Formats: sequence, C-alpha cells, structure tokens
Amino acid sequence: MTTALRFAGRRVARGLLTLWFAVTATFLLLRLLPGNPALAVANPNMTKHDQALLLHQYGLDQPLIVQYGKYLWQLLHGNLGISFTQQVPVSSVLLARLPWTLLLTGSALLVTIAIGVPLGVLAATRRGTVVDRLVQLGGVVGQSLFVPSVGIFLLFFFGLWLRWLPIGGAYSPDAAGAGWYGNVLAHLVLPCLSLMLLQIGSYVLTLRASLIDALGEDYCELARAKGLPNRAVVWKHALRNALLPTTTLVGLQLGFLVGGAVLTETIFAYPGIGRGIYEAVTQLDYPVLQGAFVLLAATVVVASMLTDLLYGVLDPRVRTR
Amino acid sequence: MRRRSFAALAATAVGAPAVGGVLAGCAPSPRPGSRAAGATLTVATTTDVVNFNPLVGNSRTDYWITDLMYPRLLTIDDAGNKQPWLAVKYGYHDPKTGYYRIRDDVRWSDGKPVTAADVAFTINAIKRDKPAGNTTFGQLTNVARASAASATEVLLHLSKPDQTVLREVGFWMNVVPAHVFGKVSNVATFANTGDWVGCGPYTLVSAAKGQAYTLERTEPYPWAPGGKPSLARVVFRVYPDINTEILALRSGEVDLIANTLPPAQVDVLRHTTGITVRKVPGLGYAHLAYNMKHKPLDKLAVRQALAHAVDYAAIRRVVLQGQAVSTHSSPIAPVLTAYADPSMAEYRHDPAHARRLLRQAGYRPDAHGRFPLSLRMIYSLQDAVTAQWASMVASDAAKAGITITLQGMDRNTYLAKTDAGDYDIYAGNFAIMDDPVTNMALTYLPGGAINYSKVDDPALSKLITDAQVATPDEQRELVAKAAHLVRDNVYDNVVYMQNFYVAHRTEWTGFVAKPSELLTVVDPASLARVRTRS
Repeated sequence: MTTALRFAGRRVARGLLTLWFAVTATFLLLRLLPGNPALAVANPNMTKHDQALLLHQYGLDQPLIVQYGKYLWQLLHGNLGISFTQQVPVSSVLLARLPWTLLLTGSALLVTIAIGVPLGVLAATRRGTVVDRLVQLGGVVGQSLFVPSVGIFLLFFFGLWLRWLPIGGAYSPDAAGAGWYGNVLAHLVLPCLSLMLLQIGSYVLTLRASLIDALGEDYCELARAKGLPNRAVVWKHALRNALLPTTTLVGLQLGFLVGGAVLTETIFAYPGIGRGIYEAVTQLDYPVLQGAFVLLAATVVVASMLTDLLYGVLDPRVRTR
Repeated sequence: MRRRSFAALAATAVGAPAVGGVLAGCAPSPRPGSRAAGATLTVATTTDVVNFNPLVGNSRTDYWITDLMYPRLLTIDDAGNKQPWLAVKYGYHDPKTGYYRIRDDVRWSDGKPVTAADVAFTINAIKRDKPAGNTTFGQLTNVARASAASATEVLLHLSKPDQTVLREVGFWMNVVPAHVFGKVSNVATFANTGDWVGCGPYTLVSAAKGQAYTLERTEPYPWAPGGKPSLARVVFRVYPDINTEILALRSGEVDLIANTLPPAQVDVLRHTTGITVRKVPGLGYAHLAYNMKHKPLDKLAVRQALAHAVDYAAIRRVVLQGQAVSTHSSPIAPVLTAYADPSMAEYRHDPAHARRLLRQAGYRPDAHGRFPLSLRMIYSLQDAVTAQWASMVASDAAKAGITITLQGMDRNTYLAKTDAGDYDIYAGNFAIMDDPVTNMALTYLPGGAINYSKVDDPALSKLITDAQVATPDEQRELVAKAAHLVRDNVYDNVVYMQNFYVAHRTEWTGFVAKPSELLTVVDPASLARVRTRS
C-alpha cells in the first residue's frame, strides 16, 4: 500500500513540475512569435501612438518578468485572463469548445481501441497469412492518410452523394429537445470515423508486434504445454502483457488528440478547441493561447499520470521502480 | 482480472466521451414564441465571429452579423457613390461643422427610437475609448466631438476643415444604441454577448460559438417593402474549410456562401445544377509597393523597369482566371466611375524596355543578362492568390534581368515586417478603397498609415491635402491629377482589381450585390429582400 502511494505521489509531483514548465515555456514562446497583438487586431488607420495604447491596455508594455509574475498569480487563483479579441474570460472561451473536442476525440479513441485491439490480435494470431498482410497493409495506409483528403472524401461520399450524414458542424441550428442528441450523434460520425482511420494503424501495428513477442515467451509456451486452448493463451495470458505499449500509446495520443484534431475540426466544421487555438494564433490572442496550452498540458500530464498508474495495475513490477 | 485490465484501458477512453453528458448543457432550448413564421436563409462563412461589438469587430463575419443589427448612416451604390441610409441628408453648416439629418421612423428592437443622440454617442464613444480594429477611429482624426442638435440632427464639430469625414464616417460606422452601450464604462472592452438590441433587418437571438449564429426578423424595418424584412430568420454557419462549405451548398445544407469563392471554383459552380453564381464588383486592388526608402528603389527608372517587367494580363488570366480587371495602373478602382480616368494606360509588359530603362540608368548586365539588382519581396502565405502571382512577378522580373527573392510568410510576420518597413517590395491587397481622397491620404501622404511605398512627393501631397478640403467637383479633378502622378512615378503599382463571386441555391432570389468583399450580397439592403422563388 505504501509503495503504491509513494508511486502515485511521485507521479503527481512530476506532473505538477511538468505543468509549471509547460506554463512557463508557453508564456515565453508566445512572446517570441513574430508580430504583436496590436498589429494583429488594430485597424491600419491606427497611429503608432494608438497601437502603443492598445499594448498598454493588453498589459504587454510591462517588463516580461512582471507580465510573467502577474500571469502566474492569476493562474494560481484559477483566472486564465480575458481574451484580447473577444473581451470575455478565457475560461468561457475554452469551456464553450472543450466538451466538443472531448466528445470527438474521446469517441474516436474508444472506437479506435474497440476495433484496433481485436484487429491487432487477429493479425498477430494469423501471422504471415493473407489476413495478417491485409491488416498490416491497412495499418500502414491508415498512418499515411492525409486528414483533409480523407475528410473531404468522407463528406463527399456520405454527405453529398449518399446524403446519409450531415456535412459539417456539431449539430443543426434547428435541432432541439430529444432530437438534438440524435442530431449530435449524426454530426459526430464522420469526424470520428476520420480520426479513427488515421489512428487505428498505429494501434493495430503496435499491438500486433507486442503480441507476437508475448506469444513467443516461455509462459505462453508453458500455458500451451499445459493444454490451454490457444484462445485462452492469447486473450488471458499474452494480451495483458502485450497491452503495455498500447497503453503508452493511448497516453501519448490523448495529448495529440486534444490539440491535434485541429485539421479534422476544420474540415468537418467541428467547433472544438483545436480550431479555437488556430484562430487565436492568427489573432495573437495570448490569453486564449496560454489558457489553451495550460489545458492541453494539464490533459497530457493527467493522461500520462493515468497511464503510469494503469501501468502499475497491469504490471505490478513498475510500482517498485 | 485480465479482463479487468482491458476494461481499465477502455475506461480511460470511455472517460472522455462521458463528457458527452456535459454536452447536455450545450443543448439549445427552444425559445417559446420566438419563432417567427417564414423562410430561413442559411448563410455559410469561413470565418467565425470574434466579437459581437460592431465598434470592435475583427472578422468579416463579425461585420456581416453586426451590420444586420446596427445601421450605418450611408450606404454605397453600384458606382461606389455614398447614398442615404439612416441619414437622409448630410453636409456642412460651415467648414468646421458637419451634420447628418437622420430618419425619424426607425426603432431599436426594444421599441426605443433611433435618434441623433445614438449617433453622437457612438462617435464620442469611439473617440474616447479608441476600440481596436475600429475603422472609423482613424477617420475621426479631425472630429473634435459630436452632439445632437435635435432628435434627428447630429452635428460633427471639426478641429479643422475636412470634406471627406462625413462620407467616410457615414459609410463605415455602425450606430449603436446609447441606452445599451452607454451603460458600460468602456465600449472598447464591451463584448456584447447577449440580450442584443438592434434595429434590423435582423437581430441576433442565439450564438453557438464556432458553429451557428441565428438572427430573427426585426419589425418594423422601414427600408424593407411594407416595413417587414422578407425572411423570418437568417442563420450564419461557420465552415472554416472552403471545400466543405461548397459541399454544404451543393447538398442544400446551406443556401448561400457569403465569402467570395476562390477563382478556380467559380466556373465549377457555374456549371453545377441548382447553384447560381453572382458577381460582386471589387472596391480594392492588388498591388506592388516599392519601398522608396531602400536603394535603388528611390530611382524612378528602376521602379519603371520593375513595372514594365510584370505581365499583368497573364496574372489576371492565369491566377485570377479572368475574374479581375485592369485599373490602367491607377489607384482608383474602375467601379468609382466619378473618379476613374479611362484615358490612363496600364504599364506595358515589355521586358526589353525594362532592360533599356536599366541600361539608361547606368546598370550593366553580366554575361547571363542579369543586372546587379537583387530585391526582396514579402507577401502573406495566408493569401493564396497573392502567393501565386508573387511568383509570377519574380519570374517576369528575372526575364528583365532583375532578381527578386520571394519571402512568403505567415500573416503576423508579414504585418510586423510591413509595419517596420522591412521589405524592398510589398505584395498585397487593399480590400476597400471606397473614398479616393481619404485613401490617397493614407496611402501617399508622408506618414500615412498605409504608405507602404514611403512616398514623400510635395506635389502629390499638395494635391491630396487640397482635395481634403475641396468641394466634390474640385476633388474629382485633384484626384485625377494625383492618380496620374502616382502612375507616372510608379509610387504604387496596381496589378489588378478583382471582381468577386458568391454562390447561392437557385431557389433563392432578390439578392442585391453591393461592391466589395465586405458587403457582397449580405448587406442589410440585400437580405431584407431575399426570398424563395416559390
């Protein structure tokens, strides 16, 4: 019990340190971006004096260390600041978009795992057969797909040609009441499918490789020698160990999914946080960018901690390291 | 146990979708009684709304939506002339006192009348709070303050005579309700995110960030036939990707694409059943500004050689696919017929002549025919059309023996380099040059905010400053002379004026196309009349 607690405590402390580093790096990197927020939003008719007033209004005329101190202080109080361009709290900007990103990326991850794990097992247990080669080929092709091409193809095929699914957005403006949920689901299908197609290759190939390794281990040979059916050897003995690299992959991809769905969100007109970040970059809206990156960093840190903890569950030896 | 470990892994993935429950809070609730009967026009746009405050607005969609709620004093006709809108008359009581006389039959959506006090409040608030991104602020330089002489007359007290201010402020400024905006201490930081009070033709009733913005009919609306805008609702939907947007139009998910179409898509959509493509005249131009603070661009012969090197017709034919016209190398858009001078001639594409000019200026080519002239040209990579023609310009210049190094960059770097004058050649666009006198002052007077060529010619400056205080007839003559000076001295090299194209479902009719990318067919005058053919 003490070992487990110590293990969890170490991971939490490391997560907090990572978060502080991410906050600081983000703060500094944003200020290294070319251009300045006043130029990004000011009308060209504005004089240099008025642009300077705007920078003052944004608090960007103060020394960097003062800006940083104020930012950390406000962050510790749970205040992410006010958006330069939208003039509303950053938290409300992010919270309006976060649920959509979580819905999209979470669903995509769930579907990917639900399909990817059985496919990986299938390829590993049918090693060298046509099935294995087809699954491998599919995995490699999936990893090579280009988001906009896949997205536009899916929209054209299912949205325009077959007219089965809507073209864009998270729901139709006229949807309301109980029908709203079905409408949300219909809008979710294509972006989710697009993300799934792009990710599934890495899950399938990773699991296939680790499961082939696991199946060659002595304990699997022993299980077979004891007369256990192959199905039981695979699903009850080998898969548990083979899942460790896949678990790492989930942790790594969670961060990528939350921040990296920007292209998918753009193509499918999905109102998630990735698109919000892209828009904030073009407007050099520092508070929104800082808030978004804090959120992303926190997501990655939490995902990483959960992965570590899950590792501990899957492989008790990890807890003692 | 083993099954549990897989379940644990799956649970991490399921955890996020569980957030779907949170979405319940995002579900819109029906607004009882708010659903006016009639048609809904769904408009697609590629840019999201940044701000609902028309005094701050940043994106094109901000402008379109707030323009449907907050009236302008003047509008613009097909020839670019300013025409009455909220203001029925405007002029000068004396050189330092301008006035607008406004309609007395317009009401805000909460029933309160739109008065001169609202107009005066808006002007004074802009002067006081200097909202970022506000176009009017720069135009109010010579306005000391505004006051309401009566319920229908607004006075502009000028610090010095200015014959352009009424036209420009009247066209660009949205009037806001003083009884709403006056409650905040600073209009520059007012987000205006709800409880909207507008005066039509449509007023916002709901906003789903990144997705859709719904406006409903405001009555009475005196500019619409019978005082009733034709549509019950207008919904703006955001499709950041133009290809998705076009698919949405083709599928019938949206009825109109408000942003202009990429040149390559115009012909495709023209030949698509059920889609109508409409032309919108441009009011701006694409140009090359030669930084005269940088040698050797201070030499007229070098600028002329650069101007004669460019194959303007090829750019318009290849990149713009014939959807742009020549301005005859004049900085006046041809649509402004009162000012444009058809006798002006475009710089002839003649690389041999460009070489001759350089030789006459003392430059000698090397064995490969290259002159010792190497220039750096900046442009924004976000502007796909400019990025294409910039490379054609560099290629044309090479044929004349001039080396142009292309520097495409992201928009913010481009803005920063432009602001710092860190370029030899600037390639870009002016979106709307609606008032030649005002625009020339900004573009060619020393210290002008968009004087990218760094022009400082006393003769040109005198023509422009004289025009600023001259009568409209005198202005036309002075502007024509100034345009010739600009052309002859290559103070600006206008490459083309682009006409824009928008597309809508054929079942809709009644659109009115207003000049410029900013007004297109979503101007209040247009959307108040749009209807289905049936």
